[in-house]
Amino acid sequence: MATRSESGFGEVSRLRGIVFKYLTFGASLVGILALGVLLAYVFWDALGLESAGTAWYLTYTVTLLAPLLGFLAYARDKPEVTAGAIELVGFTLAGGTLSFAAIIVLIVIAGPGVWVTYFLTVVAPVIGLFLYGQYEREATWVGLAMLGTLVVGPIVGTLGLGAISTVAALLGAPGVYFLSLVVPGAGLAAFLAADRFDASRRVALGVAVGLLVLAIVGVPVVDTVPIVARSVWFAVLVMLGLPVGFAVTNTARQPARRAAFALPAIAIGGFLVGEFVVGAIGATQPSPWLDWQFLTSPTSSLPADAGLYPAVIGSVFLIILVSIFTFVFGVGTAVYLEEYAPSSGLLGTVTRLINVNISNLAGVPSVVYGLLGLGIFVNINIQFGPVVYAGIGAGTVLTAAMTLSLLILPIVVISAQEAVRSVPDSLRQASYGMGATRWQTIRNVVLPRSLPGILTGTILALGRAIGETAPLIMIGAVATKYNPPSGLFDTLTAMPLQIYTWAFLPSEEFRYGVVAAGVVTLLIVLLSMNSVAILVRNKYQQETY
Amino acid sequence: MTTEDMATETEADDDTDSLVTSDPGKGGLSENDDRGTVMAADTIVESRDLDVFYGETQALQNIDLAIPENQVTAMIGPSGCGKSTFLRCINRMNDLIDICRVDGELTFNGKNVYDEDVDPVALRRRIGMVFQHPNPFPKSIYDNVAYGLRTQDKTENMDAVIEESLKKAALWDEVKDQLDKSALNLSGGQQQRLCIARAIAVDPEVILMDEPASALDPIATSKIEDLIEELAEEYTVVIVTHNMQQAARISDKTAVFLTGGELVEFDDTDKIFENPESQRVEDYITGKFG
Repeated sequence: MATRSESGFGEVSRLRGIVFKYLTFGASLVGILALGVLLAYVFWDALGLESAGTAWYLTYTVTLLAPLLGFLAYARDKPEVTAGAIELVGFTLAGGTLSFAAIIVLIVIAGPGVWVTYFLTVVAPVIGLFLYGQYEREATWVGLAMLGTLVVGPIVGTLGLGAISTVAALLGAPGVYFLSLVVPGAGLAAFLAADRFDASRRVALGVAVGLLVLAIVGVPVVDTVPIVARSVWFAVLVMLGLPVGFAVTNTARQPARRAAFALPAIAIGGFLVGEFVVGAIGATQPSPWLDWQFLTSPTSSLPADAGLYPAVIGSVFLIILVSIFTFVFGVGTAVYLEEYAPSSGLLGTVTRLINVNISNLAGVPSVVYGLLGLGIFVNINIQFGPVVYAGIGAGTVLTAAMTLSLLILPIVVISAQEAVRSVPDSLRQASYGMGATRWQTIRNVVLPRSLPGILTGTILALGRAIGETAPLIMIGAVATKYNPPSGLFDTLTAMPLQIYTWAFLPSEEFRYGVVAAGVVTLLIVLLSMNSVAILVRNKYQQETY
Repeated sequence: MTTEDMATETEADDDTDSLVTSDPGKGGLSENDDRGTVMAADTIVESRDLDVFYGETQALQNIDLAIPENQVTAMIGPSGCGKSTFLRCINRMNDLIDICRVDGELTFNGKNVYDEDVDPVALRRRIGMVFQHPNPFPKSIYDNVAYGLRTQDKTENMDAVIEESLKKAALWDEVKDQLDKSALNLSGGQQQRLCIARAIAVDPEVILMDEPASALDPIATSKIEDLIEELAEEYTVVIVTHNMQQAARISDKTAVFLTGGELVEFDDTDKIFENPESQRVEDYITGKFG
């Protein structure tokens, strides 16, 4: 018999648990505080807030900050209004990011000739096949056809590049972007109107025609603004206009959410009133380093004229290539190692050896990868019979992209392996039990289920790649470049490299103001890329439940 | 998506994708053997001297078993006695386990499924399987049932086949308005019936069930049991169960496996439960052991 206590149940000590809880809380606080201080510090310098007068701060507190806080207090216990406000802001930000990406990728880097070629050979057929697959669900060949198009399309496009570019040149750049962006955009708008908002056929058609008319009517207007080209107008209309239009329509249709429109009204109205008051009373304004001039001009020996434009384009170019390389090779490796590679016997030992090595490679310093890139892409000259391989040039876009891909490939492989491994075995068994082949199981069960995890890992790894400086220095990327790279074999500079160079200039204005502006730009590009990828991931997660 | 007016009878499609190159013909052993009161049927799956090893451990010893066509055959026995292993030998799911080795003969329609020229994937297309825990794919209900049809390129008349399968699995009335909703939103019992619908959609000859009701509550269990009895009119059902009453209720034949991977007794269910020959089986069934 157990001894019976005389009174009550007694107490169990929780002291160690409580101490541990606050230790973990303290640890997370340190990280968050450090990040907060860093952000405050660079934003303070980049926006030149030091030089603003008290009057400027007071004005904007009254016209912008106070009403915004008021709106937040009002919306706190109204979930519908909050959801509407988040949707409006989120779609606007996503639209802004998309426009930025479209302008840089489609207009600056690719240019109308290249874009229209690959649009015709890859993008349009894939979208067409995808839509057909959604419409005709019994057609099992669609997935395979899409894969085939992704492989064959680029080859056909590369072969036909010259011819199609010539034809496209006759059409002119704005014509190309009108046909490839605005026309499909109008179709998408009509579809969304009919599908999501139950609009009648006539209304949906009206939406599509309205978008086309707006695009054309807007042309004479944007022609009066010197810095906005017609192509840019078309891209922004589709990439920003569609998400914003969707969010506005969606909010307007739900009466409980309509109060959310107060948020954009307060933001825009407060800003305009603030500008007016500041101008009227003549308050000292901040002198930001991060402004339009900074984003659109190359570097200079004068801090006031220095800009980041070639480096921004170079970094985005790099990230596109790196994400393609790492996704293809990383996911391929991970799927092979997890699903196909033998796990027992002698070959199983080899597999385990490879796995251990990949983990080790993930920890190798980036400067070592720089040396590797230098060795195999730059300082090399070997001959196989008549074929001579002499590298792909010091500091070119392709060399940099391949070096950075090698750098983050192990991280991508490991996280993709983790994602593939997390697919429950019961699902694989169910698939095999249905008489599915291994390929069908991977294609229909394993990959869809692990894609969100794979994307997360790839995004985090890309974040590391975009911030790397050392490998770029090792492969001979130039620090000072006055125009963006025009092709795969052109030299480039990237944002971290440019910032690094500025940090060693004697002028204090470079070391504090310009560097801070560069860091903020880098952070914004990084965060906006991540947010687009996260949106894609969440979408996919919802679709696969 | 699914049209209500397509309830036309789907013709039993002539299964042209032959399992093996040679025509197996009818594997008829038990045409006239005296197996008691249950109507004599053709044998569809038969094992002779079947041994299974996991690495060094022997999981099944010398199993001789003939499973009759269009009947429910139950396998009972304590945990670890090898009944699930035997089930997984029939459609070669054990191939997925690296260390598993099978000796002896296991015939399906007279053809040894462990012959070199047998494609396990083609075999599994004719032998469906339902698992212990409901494992629907994280897709819509429609896509779950369509999964086998799509992987096996039987997409003709798919909406009608899917409706028919869901009706056979007694699930149609509960899900007909939410076919495009996630299968994971269904209850456990509904999920298991969905898995059965998924298995019968491709019209297999044999359905293997590995403790299909052990993770379900009594009401869901009784639905599954009713369903199994109905399925036996068209399909051969082989079911592994821990639940002896369940075996007694639904099966025509019962095989009793005991520890060590032996098949101790195999006979008509009535005989096993009322008058078993082996003392060990009697002890097990009456609860003295196991």
